[in-house]
Amino acid sequence: MAECVKVCTANFGKGAQDIEVYKKLGGYANISEKLFNMSQFELIDYVQRSNLRGRGGAGFPTGMKWSFVPRNSGKPVYIVVNADEGEGGTFKDHFLMLEDPHRLIEGLIIAGWALGSRAAYIYCRGEFLPCIESINKALNQAYAAGYLGENIMGTKFCFDIFVHRGAGAYICGEETALINSLEGQKGQPRLKPPFPAVSGAWKSPTCVNNVETIMALPWILSHEPEEYARMGTPRAGGTKVFCISGDVKNPGVYEAPLGTPMMTMINDYAGGVVGGKLKAVLPGGSSCAPLTAEEAAVATMDYECLASMKTMFGSGAMIVINDTHNMVDLLNCLGNFYSHESCGQCTPCREGTGLLHRMLNLIVAGKGHDGDVELMQSLCGGFGGVTICPLSISLGGPVSSYTAKFRADFDEYIAKNPDHAKPRVQETYRPGIFW
Amino acid sequence: MSNYYNMPKLPTENSPKVEIFVDDKPVMVPGDTNLLEALKAVGIETPHVCYHPFLPVSGNCRQCLVEQEGPRGRMLVIACYTPVAPGMKIYTPASSARVKNARRATQEFMLVNHPLDCPICDKAGECTLQENYMEAGQNESRMRPEYGKNYHGNPAHQFIDAKGQLRGGKHVDLGPRVLLDEERCVQCDRCVRFMRSIAGSEQLQLAGRADHTYITTFPGEKLDHEYDLCVTDVCPVGAMTAKYFRFQKRVWLLSHTPTVSMDDSLGANIWLDHADGRIYRVMPRCNPEVNRSWLSNTSRLAFQNFGKNRLPFMGFHVIQNLVSGVKAEGGKIALAAGGTCTIEDLAALRMLKDSLGDSAELFGGTFKKVGSPDGIAMSGDPMANRAGFKLMGVPENNLADLTKRAGEFKLLLTVNLDIFGEDASQASALEKIQNRVVLSAFNDETAAHGTLSCGVRHWSEVQGTMVNSLNILQKLNACPVCPDEKIRPAYEILSELAGCMFESAADAFKHAGKYAAALSGLSYDTIKSTGKLLEGGEA
Amino acid sequence: MREHIQGAVQFVSNNRLKFDRPAQPIEALPDPGQTFGYVNKAVPQPSPKEVLAKLDTPEIKERCADLLSRYPVGQGALLEVLWLVQGVFGWVPTEGIRWAANVCGCAPAHALGVATFYTMYNHAPKGKFLLQFCRNISCTIKGAPSLIAYVEKALNIKTGETTPDGLFTILQVECLGSCGNGPMMLVNDDFATDVEGDQLVMKPGTTLTTDSIDRILKWCYAHEDNMPKHDVLGGIVKGHSGHPGAPGAKAKPQVADYAPPSPVLNVKAEADDAGATLTWKGAPEFTKLVVEKKNGSKWAAVGEPGVKDKSFLDANGKVGDVYRMIATSGERTAKPSKEATATQKPAPAEEAK
Repeated sequence: MAECVKVCTANFGKGAQDIEVYKKLGGYANISEKLFNMSQFELIDYVQRSNLRGRGGAGFPTGMKWSFVPRNSGKPVYIVVNADEGEGGTFKDHFLMLEDPHRLIEGLIIAGWALGSRAAYIYCRGEFLPCIESINKALNQAYAAGYLGENIMGTKFCFDIFVHRGAGAYICGEETALINSLEGQKGQPRLKPPFPAVSGAWKSPTCVNNVETIMALPWILSHEPEEYARMGTPRAGGTKVFCISGDVKNPGVYEAPLGTPMMTMINDYAGGVVGGKLKAVLPGGSSCAPLTAEEAAVATMDYECLASMKTMFGSGAMIVINDTHNMVDLLNCLGNFYSHESCGQCTPCREGTGLLHRMLNLIVAGKGHDGDVELMQSLCGGFGGVTICPLSISLGGPVSSYTAKFRADFDEYIAKNPDHAKPRVQETYRPGIFW
Repeated sequence: MSNYYNMPKLPTENSPKVEIFVDDKPVMVPGDTNLLEALKAVGIETPHVCYHPFLPVSGNCRQCLVEQEGPRGRMLVIACYTPVAPGMKIYTPASSARVKNARRATQEFMLVNHPLDCPICDKAGECTLQENYMEAGQNESRMRPEYGKNYHGNPAHQFIDAKGQLRGGKHVDLGPRVLLDEERCVQCDRCVRFMRSIAGSEQLQLAGRADHTYITTFPGEKLDHEYDLCVTDVCPVGAMTAKYFRFQKRVWLLSHTPTVSMDDSLGANIWLDHADGRIYRVMPRCNPEVNRSWLSNTSRLAFQNFGKNRLPFMGFHVIQNLVSGVKAEGGKIALAAGGTCTIEDLAALRMLKDSLGDSAELFGGTFKKVGSPDGIAMSGDPMANRAGFKLMGVPENNLADLTKRAGEFKLLLTVNLDIFGEDASQASALEKIQNRVVLSAFNDETAAHGTLSCGVRHWSEVQGTMVNSLNILQKLNACPVCPDEKIRPAYEILSELAGCMFESAADAFKHAGKYAAALSGLSYDTIKSTGKLLEGGEA
Repeated sequence: MREHIQGAVQFVSNNRLKFDRPAQPIEALPDPGQTFGYVNKAVPQPSPKEVLAKLDTPEIKERCADLLSRYPVGQGALLEVLWLVQGVFGWVPTEGIRWAANVCGCAPAHALGVATFYTMYNHAPKGKFLLQFCRNISCTIKGAPSLIAYVEKALNIKTGETTPDGLFTILQVECLGSCGNGPMMLVNDDFATDVEGDQLVMKPGTTLTTDSIDRILKWCYAHEDNMPKHDVLGGIVKGHSGHPGAPGAKAKPQVADYAPPSPVLNVKAEADDAGATLTWKGAPEFTKLVVEKKNGSKWAAVGEPGVKDKSFLDANGKVGDVYRMIATSGERTAKPSKEATATQKPAPAEEAK
């Protein structure tokens, strides 16, 4: 594997939680004349040239997102960092915040300068208390050093960062749900439009960015934007922090350029598949369609290639599955997960994920019937594009693709039920019952 | 659900018309509204559960899906949140199988955890789910009994029935007037939005999440608000039921009379739902200008007393003899009208005064306290037809004058005015008047103090008109629930006293035009059910 | 007729017999709430007085004031204030929810909806050590179900239950965001895969095994009385001045002119016989644009394109001329753009014949 420039993970294991160490490693060098001589417009253009795309999953170009924020609207502009990392297989933000909180703060100051923001919120999921402690410690040091607060480094720029602890809801990773949660409401996605860039938190323009996106900014600013763009693919610049988990020798967080072949990631970075032969790979977190071993052999890790294979790049969280696992068990996990995390707003998602979960539970318990799989596929058809947010498809997609690609696994489970061929009996209600 | 929701914009008569393409056919629709209302305006009904024209849009039922041609191809969108744009292309189930399937799928999901207890459900017959099912549902379930149902319910109310099924609370006491059936709830959150956005008191909330969501008040607190019965109206299913109407009558056996509530000068538009000669319930009748879809508990529950304590009918000639006797003596006569008198009653009263000449004097008003409008469906003024009094030239605030000058009069005739009941201490001065004729629907205090009391029809039993505090002329319709067919409307008795009996309310209304220029060009039959805004009613 | 009625009566009684059967769960449905241990049966609630006595302390008041100063609307602090309540009691009593609602100025029912929406708020007392096991896909692949079964057996309780001594509660939760170390568990607020020198640790490359679980349980028993206590909001940040306009906040809104005014970016000049054409990238805030041409060592203005214009034609321009643009935003004039030397415009592609 080729040596890769470390944009976000350079300070891992170097004790960069302390501001002195971080400064010695070149931190906060951007918070100087270099940043202060830039206009907002120049800085946004700079980020646009770097071709940085959002690292949270949707992959929207960051510079373009920022350019949508109306300036001089008379309302404050908020930057919200989405650190509500909850998708199965994704754990990069956990370690990024734990190991290098100052880089996040530095990136936020840059983003704040670009958007003219006065206050930024880091929405961190409730389970990540160690991360919050790490960030709060770093914030205290940054305030003491004058990088935050009133009139930063003698300029007119004032900027505060607050950490908001979530309380356990995966759906708050969706940006409008996150904004609702930040406002002290239930984390339920909002109807769009208006989009958050125009009317988000407290009806003000709001930019929601992933932790990794913000943490790439210091490097980009201290180098040339074209240098960052060159590292990736033509449509998405830079490196990406990949999370590899599952049946590999060395699961963990690895930074690699976009467009790295999938098998290079598995074999060279993560040390290869253990416990059996490769059966499937989930390339972008738990909600994407799995790739079979043959498909994985030709896939590269970037937005376009994976989209062409009818799956998605997502947050770059690879889950490697060997052939000792039955895919029904894993789909049942997802059924548990999504039926538990549905916000309960849209009918198809609220009732549908619960129903699929019950059906999967029955199949796993050896009580499946012929026709269950077809019914599940048909039910998932009712999810497509009809709900406010894509959570329903996050379960519907896997159900469709798992059943299509690994049908034998399902049949194996269903065959365990001695009555699996019994036809469905319509429950009838006897007329006498209401006498 | 706690988003900044937008109130839907409703089309009006003045809405600009724009051309859109529905199923590739060009149609002209109101341009300043949402797609659902626009399609409704051209006669295309879109099934919906959570959308309510007078509540903020939450868009969570996903039942009103249509297909819209967009830059990225045809996309499913919800009609209730999509604004109309000129030239947009819309596909409904009439041409799009995808829309049809999507609606059917949503319908199926909605029924997955919904109990099949329509036969004992009070909402059956007017249930949105039933309507949608008949239109878009599938006729046979695809579920196996093994899948079971996951009824929504508060863990504290859940129980296990004889079949081993975990059930939700079936009759949760939400407050003094409303019962909740947790199983039937479809989480449309209309009641939550009503309490928060309209009533202004967030007493209800959806607790929990996913398919464990259930409606609840704060533990230990009750749903108690002047408008809390409106949540039973907005509930699309039988989850919220009114205690007073629970198990009283199947709704398809009820007949509906559109009329106007005379409890308050806003004149909330209502339906009187009656059967077997009695009123079973009062429902708000939608009028965007007046009470939208809301009705206060006071107005709604008032019907329970309509049939009670009624004053019996009395022969007309007794009154006539008395009045003509006093007139022959040359004694002065006071004619006092109460707030629930219709325009027709007032026309008859004016006519009576004219026939009696200078010896008669008109009085009107109330001793009840006048409050301030609450912005929902009450104006706070208990004198319902005050604007009508002004219009007809009948004094609407001189009862104090009457009590002061009581000694001058030989005869007092009160119409629908419970003056003794409202303020007995002030009214006691009226006992100085020798003859006290009372025309009243109820055997109230005034009737008890009268020398001659004659029953007349209650406002719920007469045809008529009234002018509300917004200066809108509204029509009352007679609900056939009068306990005694012989009881006559007040305007009939009064006009007969004047010597020229009105044949009908329309006849009376025609006469009213003589006294009020604003009414002269109108005819009773052409007043719309939502009323007519009067110009220059103050004159 | 009579037979018919008799039949009907029998029918009813049959039904009644059926329903008179003692109620018992035949087969509990696989209910996600139950499998996660989140079904909260009604528990005895402390009285309002007890709750207030514990929450009306100077420290908590100070924390609340600090939290409220961070958000433009008090309701924003609701999640954090509920966390404070959980920090005091270990769970969120109903009266605590009402207290939090009062602090944040929202309706109690709203706070109840929020408190029940998020799964990390406990609505019943939990054991001293709350063991939360991830059961999501990555951890399942690495054997979480068998580990959970192991712990359940070791502690002799099921998921969602508390040991009789009140020490341990087991919960199964969704992804803990540490899939690389899967299977993963949380001991109260600490991620743990092992014990190292009297501390719970999670290091890259280590995973939970039955042995390490034994060590963690042993650590828990040893720290029963001196449990490491985390601040429920991860510590206090000093030095911030709050959100502008919030109660107790000193902060003022951001001034509009903190950054230098925007220059014109990406100025390009191309010349042909008709003159030199300039293109550039303009910012939305520009109010005036001036194009200057170099004349010897001096700059001379040659025109003022509109702020919305996309290009500008200097009829006298020719190849080799040097241009620059100066933008004004409001009252501030930015530094000149980079100089652009006019290049030969490529001949337009000939129209296809």
